[in-house]
Amino acid sequence: MSHVTERGGVADELGLMIRLLPNQVVVGVIGEVDMATAPDLGCLLGALVDRGHTDVVLDLANLDFLDSFGLQMIDDTAARLCPSGGVLRIRSPTARTRWLLDVSEVSGLVEFEPSDPDLVPLGSEQQAGDNAPIVSAAAAEATVEGGWVAAMPGGHDVVDAALELVTALAQATVGGADGASVSLARRGRIGTVAATDDTVAQMDRDQYATGQGPCLAAAGEGHWFHVESVADEARWPDFVPRARARGIGSILSTPLMAAAGRSVGALNIYSRTERAFGLPEQELAALFATQAARIVASADVAAAQASRLQAALGGRELIAQAQGVVMARQGVSAEVAYATLLRSARQAHIRLRRQATEITASTQRKLPLTGSEP
Amino acid sequence: MSRHLEVLEQGRLDVGLSLGELWFRYFELGGMSTALEVEAYLYGALIPTPHDGDVIAAALNERFAELGGDHPIPYSDDQ
Repeated sequence: MSHVTERGGVADELGLMIRLLPNQVVVGVIGEVDMATAPDLGCLLGALVDRGHTDVVLDLANLDFLDSFGLQMIDDTAARLCPSGGVLRIRSPTARTRWLLDVSEVSGLVEFEPSDPDLVPLGSEQQAGDNAPIVSAAAAEATVEGGWVAAMPGGHDVVDAALELVTALAQATVGGADGASVSLARRGRIGTVAATDDTVAQMDRDQYATGQGPCLAAAGEGHWFHVESVADEARWPDFVPRARARGIGSILSTPLMAAAGRSVGALNIYSRTERAFGLPEQELAALFATQAARIVASADVAAAQASRLQAALGGRELIAQAQGVVMARQGVSAEVAYATLLRSARQAHIRLRRQATEITASTQRKLPLTGSEP
Repeated sequence: MSRHLEVLEQGRLDVGLSLGELWFRYFELGGMSTALEVEAYLYGALIPTPHDGDVIAAALNERFAELGGDHPIPYSDDQ
């Protein structure tokens, strides 16, 4: 792995779509690949090569910008695939991207192919508006190393399903990973919302039960915690023996950062091997944690919008009911009744909604309609 | 209707509501037009019914009241 960023995270301008097929992995790139983001993408591609993938497709249909760092990264990846007889395929490049690859002579190392309509988005993408809820990841499916991993519809929260996809991809792409999970703080309680298997889920529960461990530390303090060797670990004395008993060798917990630097949970990657995770794996974990945090953030925005919409519909209904009361009492049209309500609310210096509530309630008390007699 | 539609757009700028936010408040008060139509009313590209204009005025007046003001935007039957 030649590139490790100092930031330890992925820039906002880069979105990724990943599909793991039995004999091929497709990485869709959305946004900009430049000095800031090329190392992140290079890290992901490097990890895929390290995991033995020899057929790697880079889908550039949604690439907005590619600079010399991006070209160098593509060149490096193609070169790394060569010794194993692998190939880097460039799918659906724009004319400009194709031209860039040609003039920089990168095109000699790669193969080109037309577009793939089935690529599945992972997490929040740039084409969506700032507040648009991202639910497309929930419909995502991926075959991970021959096994079928699908976001499960029905009875499963959309977000949890998307997060399960992230854990599956993290397990499949982070070298040495035997399992992964996402822990989230919801309503003040932390819990596991996605886990690749029972051992992993149990490891998380051990941490919640003892109130200790790298997952809780990462979620609580907002930076990553790495247990290089469970055998040698001196922190978290109540939790660590349980991890050892379950045959875990190393743990890497990366916080999920929401807006304003607030941590909302952690992505936990477990290995049965001691010292399984180096800097490239930490970088890759940060990339998946970023994707997971984006999914959570999108869901929070969607939830806030949904509850506001619900409140608005309630308000509309109240006003409509009061309109009906005035129409019946005064024998006027809906619009005249509305104007009557507006005038009486203004006179009473209250909101229209409150005026409507009082008028509707007055039908129960048989009180006259204030301020609205003709 | 004698109301000048510029009053609505000026009111919106005075209380600092985005078009989207104004539309949502208008919708909360029972408005039936789309956000695009409301935008067209404010810019004079479409003429709202007196009732629709009143709902927009009410949304603005409630915002003025939140900011400690009165109800400066007139309704269609005020004169």
